[in-house]
Amino acid sequence: MTDTSIPLREPAKAAFLAWLIPGLGHFYQGRTGKGWLYATCILGLYAVGFYLGSGKNVYWRWVSPFNTDRFMLHYVGQFFVGLPALPALIQATIEHFRPGSNFLGGFMAEPPANVLNGLLLRGKPYEIGLIYTTVAGLLNVLAIYDAYEGPAYGRGDEPEADAKDAEGANTVVTAGGAA
Amino acid sequence: MNSASNIYWLILPLVVAISLVYTASRYESWPVIWARSTRLCLWILAALIGTTAVLLLVNTQS
Repeated sequence: MTDTSIPLREPAKAAFLAWLIPGLGHFYQGRTGKGWLYATCILGLYAVGFYLGSGKNVYWRWVSPFNTDRFMLHYVGQFFVGLPALPALIQATIEHFRPGSNFLGGFMAEPPANVLNGLLLRGKPYEIGLIYTTVAGLLNVLAIYDAYEGPAYGRGDEPEADAKDAEGANTVVTAGGAA
Repeated sequence: MNSASNIYWLILPLVVAISLVYTASRYESWPVIWARSTRLCLWILAALIGTTAVLLLVNTQS
C-alpha cells in the first residue's frame, strides 16, 4: 500500500540505501525518526550479536544450497543487514578463487573448525549471537519494504477513514438485518 | 541468579527490537507505533513466559 501523504523519494534508491545501511533509506526520504529507529534496533542487534559470537558468527562459504550440511543458511538472513555483513561475502569470494590469501587478516572469514568447536563448547552466547545477527537481517527486510512501499497499513492515525469504515460496517449490518 | 539464567535476559532486547521494527513497518504515526509496539512486545513476552511456564510444569527432569 502506497500512501501519497508519505514522501517516498525515489523508492528504489531508498530501498537500496536501506539495505546498504539500516535506516539510511529513511534518512534519504526525510523520515529521520524512522531512520533512527531502524538504525538503532537493527544495527544494535547486529552489533550485540556479533560481539556475543566473538566476531566469528558472520561468514559465508560458496557451496550449493542443496549441500545442507555446509550451506550457511544464517548468512542468507545476515546478508540483509547490508554493508556490515558484506565483508563475509567478499572474504568467501576471495577465499574461493585464491585460497589462503588471508585478506584483511581473516576478518569475517570462515573460522577454522577447531575455533568453531571451541566457540560452540563455550555455550549459548555464540548461538544467541547467531540468532541476533540473523534476526537483525530479517528485520531489515521489513525496513527495506517500508522504504520502497511505505508503511503497510498507511499512517495509522486517520480518524476520518476509521469513522467511514465503521459507518460502512454499520450500514452493511443494518442492510443485512433489514433483509 | 546464575549465569545460565542470565542468558534469558537477552531475549528482552530481541523482543523489543522485533516489536518496534515490525510496527514501524506497518504504520507511520508515532503514537500508533509506540502504542502498538508496546502491545505486541507484551503479547510476545506473555507467550514466551506462558510457554516456559508450561514446559517447567511438565518437566520431568531435575
